[in-house]
Amino acid sequence: MKIITTVFCMAMLAGAAVAADKPNPNARPGGTWASIAKLPDWSGVWDPALGRPRPGDAPPAPPKLTPAYAAQYAAFQEKNRKTPGLNFVTEVANCVPAGLPGSMLQPYPIEFLFTPGRVTVIIETYSVVRRIYTDGRPLPADPDPSYQGSSIGRWEGDTLVVETTGILPKTSVLGGVLGHGEQLRITERMRLIEPDLLEIKTTREDPTMFIEPYTTTARYQRHRDWEIMEYVCAQNNRDQLDEHGNASIDLERKPGE
Amino acid sequence: MKSRNVASLLVGLLAGTACLTAGAHHSTAMFEWGKEVTIEGTIDKFEWTQPHTWIWFNVPGKDGKVEQWGLEGMSPSWLGRHGWDRRSLKTGDKVKIMIYPLRDGRNGGFAVRVTFPDGKTLDELPQRTQ
Repeated sequence: MKIITTVFCMAMLAGAAVAADKPNPNARPGGTWASIAKLPDWSGVWDPALGRPRPGDAPPAPPKLTPAYAAQYAAFQEKNRKTPGLNFVTEVANCVPAGLPGSMLQPYPIEFLFTPGRVTVIIETYSVVRRIYTDGRPLPADPDPSYQGSSIGRWEGDTLVVETTGILPKTSVLGGVLGHGEQLRITERMRLIEPDLLEIKTTREDPTMFIEPYTTTARYQRHRDWEIMEYVCAQNNRDQLDEHGNASIDLERKPGE
Repeated sequence: MKSRNVASLLVGLLAGTACLTAGAHHSTAMFEWGKEVTIEGTIDKFEWTQPHTWIWFNVPGKDGKVEQWGLEGMSPSWLGRHGWDRRSLKTGDKVKIMIYPLRDGRNGGFAVRVTFPDGKTLDELPQRTQ
């Protein structure tokens, strides 16, 4: 009897401690299956609507960069003007996945899975998975840097606001510019602007790179009848960089191919 | 006109994005992008693979000797959603292929449009309608 009482008391104390330390994750939007049913319907597969600006769209504003990165960015722009396509070559040609936010801007589609306390994004290109915790936990204080970083999210009405830190500094957050500061912070605001059109506004903050936060907007078209395909980049990649880091192509067929 | 449509699509794809090209994961620097060259021959093999499809194409040279060309194409992720499948090209098919050739002069390029003897065409880079 004494043992039972002790266990009971410990459980009560533990419960009280949890209640005092953090909010009940079940109470947050998307915290339970019942709550998920009240969230916007993001089912289906979403095609990045790249190259389809709408009438009235302003051209994207150029980023305001610190001098070191501005020089790198201008050099890329100049090189690309002279020879379109002869431009930015990164490790992605060697099948290393793009980091956030580039991973969300690939040409192939993405999908969303809602489970209690979490939104999962599956990105077809390079078969990337992002785990966005919506259970109220804070961002980790000292995350191991990774390609997609560490993400938390919260629902503000019908908008999912996602904050991400801990992105590997060697990834690219801007075309033509390699690398960024360790303190890079990405904020994404995701919402439906039409029944089948998802908008994601992506803000990049990194004082070593941007003089002021830089925001871009992407749109994704829903296709309910599509499925995410397998994408194993190493399956037949003949576009590895050459020994100088330049674009190349391998035309040699191996026996049996 | 068709090639202009393709060009504007690609300009659109490139604008404002991190590192996108027609190939999704590498630059188009190795090709003379936009220079249309048509070659005629027989399909040796169509590889329905990521990150790119590949067409191995046997082309008779001027001296009658067959030369093999390697033609990179869009990925199954793209083509599979634009009317192609892994059986779109079969070994032995006699076709014309419009390509953007390699800059370095080797027998290779990017496959843009396949034309069959009956006039039917398959485009790798169709103008998107939305």
